[in-house]
Parts: sequence; structure tokens; C-alpha cells
Amino acid sequence: MPKKEEPSLKGAFASVLILGAFILISWLGVFALYLIRN
Amino acid sequence: MHIHRLEKIWLGIGISMLAIFLIVLGTMAFSMGMAPPSQHHHTIDPAKVSETAPFDKPGLIQTGDKRYEAVMVAYAFGYEPAEKLEVPAGSTIDFMVTSSDVVHGFAIVGTNVNMMIEPGEISHVSHTFDKPGEYLLLCNEYCGTGHEYMATTIVVK
Repeated sequence: MPKKEEPSLKGAFASVLILGAFILISWLGVFALYLIRN
Repeated sequence: MHIHRLEKIWLGIGISMLAIFLIVLGTMAFSMGMAPPSQHHHTIDPAKVSETAPFDKPGLIQTGDKRYEAVMVAYAFGYEPAEKLEVPAGSTIDFMVTSSDVVHGFAIVGTNVNMMIEPGEISHVSHTFDKPGEYLLLCNEYCGTGHEYMATTIVVK
């Protein structure tokens, strides 16, 4: 059976990083607000 | 099982983010005591709030140097004591609140104080007021037709 070539996941990787950055920034924003108000 | 190299990277990022968030929250909750309100569980008969101590005499009591205890009752549509609470700047107030009728809110604008006040339960929260000014304390749970009038003020001098 011939070996299949790996699919390119560059687009998916970029989307995951963008989503990850959004979650991280939102979390840091909420956390900073909590600390400032404490 | 074969995992693509890029998949390994994003799984790694996701798992480490989760780990970091949980470590930060866990450290704050368990070693710094920065947990959400209501960690003490106390109950009360909601029909007998006005006869049950300390809610028979709601008010502000000084318990130490710059330390106060505010015993408060939330009702439709206001808070007891009705007059403004006055404390010097830098004071910590330990709030102890219950409801004599329905579910109310207890939020102090611009602070982390935000509780649900349920009949039958006693909610606790503490806050240190460093900046002088007037703090609006209001109900943020819709409790009936007079909900928007349900508010009081904390004056920090």
C-alpha cells in the first residue's frame, strides 16, 4: 500500500493560534479587572 | 497513533494554557483566600429574619482597627439599615446579608463585591475601601416592580 502524503494543516494551525490568542487575551483582561477592583 | 506535528504543537499550547489558568486560580483560592463569596454556609428562617440575631438589629458595627461588620437585610425594595453606611478610607467591611422575601442582588459598583442574596441563606463578603468616595450598592437580580429603586450608598471618607 503506498504511503499517503500528510495533509497540510497550516491554515488550521493559524486558526487555532488566533483563537488561542483571543482566549488568552480575554482571560488576562478579566483577570486584570478582578485584580484592579479587589 | 500518528499525530501531525502541528497538531502536537496546538495540543501542547491548549493543555499548557489550561494548566496555567488552573494553577493561577488554585493558588489564589487556596493560599491567598481569594475565593468567591459564600464559602461559609449559614442558614436562617426567612420568615423570622426580623427576630433572629444579628438581623433583628441591622447596622454597622466596628469590630477592630479599620474593621467593620455590616449586618444587612435585603427586602423588596431596599436594604436595611436604610441610612448610608459611613467608614473611614482604608476600612475593611465584612458584609453579612440575608433576604426577608425573595432573591435579591448585592453589588457594589466598581468593586468585586457581587452576591446573590437568597431567602434562607446568609451571604458573606469582605471588601477594603481604599479610595474615598461614594459607592453605589444596588440590587442586580430582578426582584419585582420596584427593583430599580433598590439601592443604598456607602460613604468612604
